[in-house]
Amino acid sequence: MKAYALTALDIIFFGKLLMVNPALWLGEWVFHFSFLLVLLRHLRFFLNPVPACIWWIQTPGLIAGFTLPVSLVYILIVRLLSGRERYASPANVFLLGLVLVISSLGVVMNLLFKPNLVEVKLFVLGILSFMPVAAPESVLFAVHFCLVLVLIPFLPTHIFLAPFVMMEARKREQALHLVIHEK
Amino acid sequence: MKSKRSFTEELLPQQILEIGACTQCGECLKHCPVQDVTGKPSVSPPEKIRMFREFIRSTDGLKSRLFGSRDLDRKLLDDFTRAVYECTTCGACGQNCPVGIFTQRLWPVLRKEMVKRGLGPIGVQANMPRAIMNSGNPYEKPPSERYRPWFPEHAKIVDRSEIAYYAGCTGAYESQPMVRGDVLVIDAIGAPFTMLPPEEEVCCGFPLFITGQHDQLTDIVTRLVRGYEARGVKVLVCSCPCCVNIMTRDWPVFYGKPLPFKIRHITQYVSDAISDGRLRVKKELHEAVIYHDPCYLTRGVGVIEEPRNVLRSIPGLTLLEFERHGINSRCCGSGGAARKIYHENAVAMGRLTIDEAVAKKADRLILSCPACYAKVNESMQGHKNQIRITDIMELVSTMIEGDRS
Repeated sequence: MKAYALTALDIIFFGKLLMVNPALWLGEWVFHFSFLLVLLRHLRFFLNPVPACIWWIQTPGLIAGFTLPVSLVYILIVRLLSGRERYASPANVFLLGLVLVISSLGVVMNLLFKPNLVEVKLFVLGILSFMPVAAPESVLFAVHFCLVLVLIPFLPTHIFLAPFVMMEARKREQALHLVIHEK
Repeated sequence: MKSKRSFTEELLPQQILEIGACTQCGECLKHCPVQDVTGKPSVSPPEKIRMFREFIRSTDGLKSRLFGSRDLDRKLLDDFTRAVYECTTCGACGQNCPVGIFTQRLWPVLRKEMVKRGLGPIGVQANMPRAIMNSGNPYEKPPSERYRPWFPEHAKIVDRSEIAYYAGCTGAYESQPMVRGDVLVIDAIGAPFTMLPPEEEVCCGFPLFITGQHDQLTDIVTRLVRGYEARGVKVLVCSCPCCVNIMTRDWPVFYGKPLPFKIRHITQYVSDAISDGRLRVKKELHEAVIYHDPCYLTRGVGVIEEPRNVLRSIPGLTLLEFERHGINSRCCGSGGAARKIYHENAVAMGRLTIDEAVAKKADRLILSCPACYAKVNESMQGHKNQIRITDIMELVSTMIEGDRS
């Protein structure tokens, strides 16, 4: 039971990362939480009618839209400034860079060049219903949308697999003293 | 190189998930002893996982399944093989992994995959199966010399007993003060104990297991288990953490059923004997000693407190700790059968251990692993920092009442 509780903490609060690198933990947790809120906020473009719960998270999602690129920049700084964990695979850097550009474009559109949101929703629903309509007349939106399409196949599978591995790790940790000691 | 053999054949489902779950965050590099001395990210844990993912994609990816497996870059395979064999398999990366990947078990399986493909093992590791087949030990030393040079004259071995002692090859041939200390202490506890004859006490299989050469393992394990079973053994005591690790975790797998006896590390056996009064440590030692935790004893089987209990039972002794100790201990460089191949890495890692012990102002460095004992002693040769190195049972054997050593 303790293993499941610890796993839940690991998944929600990245407990193991907090133990090994609190500085990176701050950035990673804010990034992942912001990413989740931004995704949920965007559901208003995909659902019709929009459920009440999606409306509730519009403001937190808006704030997360700003914290997302900031957290990404913070993660990059922490990783580049710390000597030993400067390992970064090209795929990882590409992914971080892509999300940074997408999220920054989102912020710019929100603050400066807001596209017609009704047109955005019609465009997205058109794709989902196989009845495409013209895209909004916004270059930034077009780039934002295209980069999201590029991002999808590169989304790391660890997001889906890590919770299972985290659970096994906690179970193993709890059972270590039983490997050779008396039960 | 094109292969139809899946790269996941040797992996457990859990391990396939682990490979997919690596976030490539690089946190593990801070804890990797190979990184400490080489600084080469190309041999780091996330890089090994990244390369192995490439291999899996080449045989099991969607494209490969639809259109057939694709060619693999031979250089990538060679780079991976070198990286996975340069590792000491200490498991510190997994212990500090934010996801919790059990790397101490994962790396040996990936080595096994490389062996199946004819790419591993490397260097003298390839001689081990033949050496063990011919002589019963990976050092190809004669069985007649297994006990004779170090076995205490007065210690008595009985034919049958519930307690048995397994010396292990590295202890018997390369770290003899250690195994001599073991026998002296077991003898002083007083319970009769048995040992297999030297020609029957063959390698536990760990060097073969850790280098991915599993062919002989079932045979070796079966012979040893039956040998102890025939002597009525209920508790098998051993001081080598690598032996203890494979005996506990893998012998039941290769034997095909639960073992008919329990496995105990010698510090567990001695700690119990001190607690219940069967062994009394009366001599005093007014020294500050620092204890190095072997990776396969702590992260492998969770024996952390018992060696400390044994040391604390010595009157006058002050116990110091390394910065990284217990479950987070740092490898001394002798792990993973890499010490004979990547000798310079191993010596450099051993010297880091010595340097920290000296910096902590310890009078003595206490070890409890024959591989650590051999390598750290070797690392001290010609090194600027010097410290007295003693095995834990070697020390206890000189501290016990009625010491006959």
